[in-house]
Amino acid sequence: MRALLFFVTIFYVNEYVQAVRQIPDDILRGNHTNNWAVLVDTSRFWFNYRHVANVLSIYRSVKRLGIPDSQIILMVADDMACNPRNPRPATVFNHRKQHINVYGDDVEVDYRGYEVTVENFVRLLTGRLFPGTPRSKQLLTDEGSNILVYLTGHGGDGFLKFQDSEEVTSQELADALEQMWQKRRYHEIFFMIDTCQAASMYEKFYSPNILAVASSLVGEDSLSHHVDPAIGVYIIDRYTFHALHFLERVSPDSMKTMGEFLAVCPKQECISTVGVRRDLFPRDPHKVPITDFFGSLRPVELGINYLNVSIALPLTENTIRPVKQEEKYHYAQQFPTHLFQTRAT
Amino acid sequence: MVYSKNDWNKLLKMVCFILVPFWILNVGQCLVQKDRFDEELLLKPLPSGHVYAYFQFTTVWDAPSGPQMFQHCHLFPRALGEVAGRHNVQELHVTLTEGLWRYEYWGFPVSDAAPGAELWTWFRNDTKDVDNIWKKLTGALSGLLCASLNFIGTPNSLSPEYSFRPTGVVKNSNLNSSFVRYATLPREIVCTENLTPWKKLLPCDSKKGFASLLNAGHIHNTNYHSLGLHIRPVCKDAKCTEVSIELRQTVSLVYDMMILGFQNQDWSLRKLFGLGLSGPCPLATSSFIYVDVTSNETGTPYQLQPEPTEVITSIRGGYESKFKVYNIQKMSFTHMLNIVATYSTPKVYAVNVPPVLYASRYIVGYGQERGGIVTKIHNNHWKHLDIIYLENIPWFLPIYLHTLRVVAGGKEITPILKKYVPGKERSRPYSLEVLLRIPARSVTEIYIEFDYVFLKWQEYPPDANHGFYIGSAIISAYLPVGKNYMGLPQAGPTIYSSFNASREGFLLQLRTESLIITLPTPDFSMPYNVICLACTVVALAFGPLHNITTKRLCMKDGNSCNGLLIRLKSMLFKGRKPQAQAH
Repeated sequence: MRALLFFVTIFYVNEYVQAVRQIPDDILRGNHTNNWAVLVDTSRFWFNYRHVANVLSIYRSVKRLGIPDSQIILMVADDMACNPRNPRPATVFNHRKQHINVYGDDVEVDYRGYEVTVENFVRLLTGRLFPGTPRSKQLLTDEGSNILVYLTGHGGDGFLKFQDSEEVTSQELADALEQMWQKRRYHEIFFMIDTCQAASMYEKFYSPNILAVASSLVGEDSLSHHVDPAIGVYIIDRYTFHALHFLERVSPDSMKTMGEFLAVCPKQECISTVGVRRDLFPRDPHKVPITDFFGSLRPVELGINYLNVSIALPLTENTIRPVKQEEKYHYAQQFPTHLFQTRAT
Repeated sequence: MVYSKNDWNKLLKMVCFILVPFWILNVGQCLVQKDRFDEELLLKPLPSGHVYAYFQFTTVWDAPSGPQMFQHCHLFPRALGEVAGRHNVQELHVTLTEGLWRYEYWGFPVSDAAPGAELWTWFRNDTKDVDNIWKKLTGALSGLLCASLNFIGTPNSLSPEYSFRPTGVVKNSNLNSSFVRYATLPREIVCTENLTPWKKLLPCDSKKGFASLLNAGHIHNTNYHSLGLHIRPVCKDAKCTEVSIELRQTVSLVYDMMILGFQNQDWSLRKLFGLGLSGPCPLATSSFIYVDVTSNETGTPYQLQPEPTEVITSIRGGYESKFKVYNIQKMSFTHMLNIVATYSTPKVYAVNVPPVLYASRYIVGYGQERGGIVTKIHNNHWKHLDIIYLENIPWFLPIYLHTLRVVAGGKEITPILKKYVPGKERSRPYSLEVLLRIPARSVTEIYIEFDYVFLKWQEYPPDANHGFYIGSAIISAYLPVGKNYMGLPQAGPTIYSSFNASREGFLLQLRTESLIITLPTPDFSMPYNVICLACTVVALAFGPLHNITTKRLCMKDGNSCNGLLIRLKSMLFKGRKPQAQAH
């Protein structure tokens, strides 16, 4: 029976190997083995609704393109979806015509509210977390990981504010990324930032294999896109709005490249100038598929050598049956009635 | 012999036909599963015009005990089982709630919860270093449920002596309250990100069965919604020499039919949840929907469509209630099931009859130095009631035990017992348990004073001016009557088991409102202001001082006090005499 099974397996493998040969070379060229995303919204308060919509737009796209929730670290500093001011609870929209509910029905926020701090962010990147931190709050990357880092919030020349009370500077961020490189925690990083004077945040980077894009140059403000009168606040920023527009037309098997993505939102649409830093990135962005960072396509090589995997048998009745305990259990008393009876006069 | 591709395919199909039944048989023999899963939904129109929907998903598992306990799960969610197993948990109760249950108008819920996040756990008797393992447990649960439960630690956890007894089975009666931990996060927000992982713990996820009715948009527009997870050990059989693990997942929802824009009081599954029911979860042992029609006899009657499969009359604690039962597994599903309730006449609201016991709480005092908390407990029963009052005060609000006053009808009551654990700054909250006998038909007022304190600069949250939350007080009582009572009996896990379950007393736990106070908050932009002010002062002072000390005033007269230009000129042209003077 087992021999027959192996026959069947080999037959299928043969067919797959033929299919693999048809996959374009571009897909196989990337050397990464897994994809991660760190998506951070650093602003609290209702009037910063747009920053939450920004981060959820990117979350929606990477999830749609195949990065599982276990490999997305989503940090959202405030709750907009279930905020009492939201006229449609449990939704966050990217457009006043309510095209896309970027919050969705299947969202997992890993760090939220007061947990979004500079300390937690840097600890997450560098992997220096407290013992007992659950897996969903860890960036368990290795030297084969391509990481998408997306930050949005309020920033200035050389800093990004967290929760309106503290800030991370560009030097701190550059050092954190360098520490990641030294610890072999990434293969390549695509760094995206949508804040005012965003380009100032990537200027200090000095670690290899980082491609960075910013919504505005130093000295420029990043602007919001439009107001939803039903919500009463600006609902999304210009750069991310156009980035989402671009990403919505990307499918997991699409051949779009990072070069095309870097050209998103020209000056007449964004009003600010989109800044790009590519000197640390050895590959030509026009030859890098966008799914290298936004999706989770893995180069799979099928071999015809089979491994002998022995499957652990389910525990049978005899092994798990504990020694019969003759001690009797009973339901605990729920209310100390006796105390009242003895002490009350 | 050469096989073509077609031949291979045929052979393959044949092999599959032969093998697959064998496999299935094999698997069936190996995994003798000993767990059952029941899904239930209780719908009850409340006298205030709201509709109460209570979902309960119960998994009972004859788990093998020992270290490998949670390694082979079937219907029981392994993710949760591992967390419970690794942290030596005997009982675990987590609730995530938005809104406040209005006891006065809505009566009692099946399962009670405090606003925000509430977590209480009994650890096994052999647990060492409970505080440490508690911290790790809250961290793990925060990852599992996407809530900020990791903010729970020793500084905000209590070990109540009387209020939280194990709800499941125990071996000996001498319970040591050092193994129980209770904490709340009153500010915790509940949204889709909590519902998603909660649903993933169910055997059918949200794909099939009652959980498919739980859609985020229709849950978060309610007046009150609460998610719950309750793990406890229960008796395996009547002998009770072995235990099973019971997991109860609950959702309580209260819909306001008037504000949801339907113009009338009629309600249906589709109106409440956005869609009908497509069938039971195939893994469920039983699937029942109960509609409480007790109010049809006293209030405005309503008709149900389709007809129920059964009608149950339950007499509990001297009060009768009627339920129409839909056994979903026995119904045929050609299209989605939509249970519709229609009122033949416009609903008439009767005078509200509040339940036997309810409470409210508020802050008194003025200024930012000292204040007080008042809790009013209403007893509408004809006889005195015994209650336990648990106060959970954070460390930054030191309370004074000597100011505790309990007054009912102008007369001071002496508590039967007081258990007070004073708080410690940054390491332990104030815990106060008071055992009281409150007189019949009375309002009892519990009053205690506290101080406002300053926190350290770094301890203020980013939105410090929003205020600081104080968790609910908990009032436990053992009600002698079953009126309005919907709680489950201790031994029974399902709603079904609560029918006709008369006991000598019914345990009720009320949660009061959580409070918000404004602590004296420093001006965080103060350093900036100081710098600006200091610089201005220095600049203002420096200018004149510098002028006074470095310049002198003199009359503009040609010889002694020439201008700079003239002096430079004279220095440059020292040798020559000005031509004007040459004349």
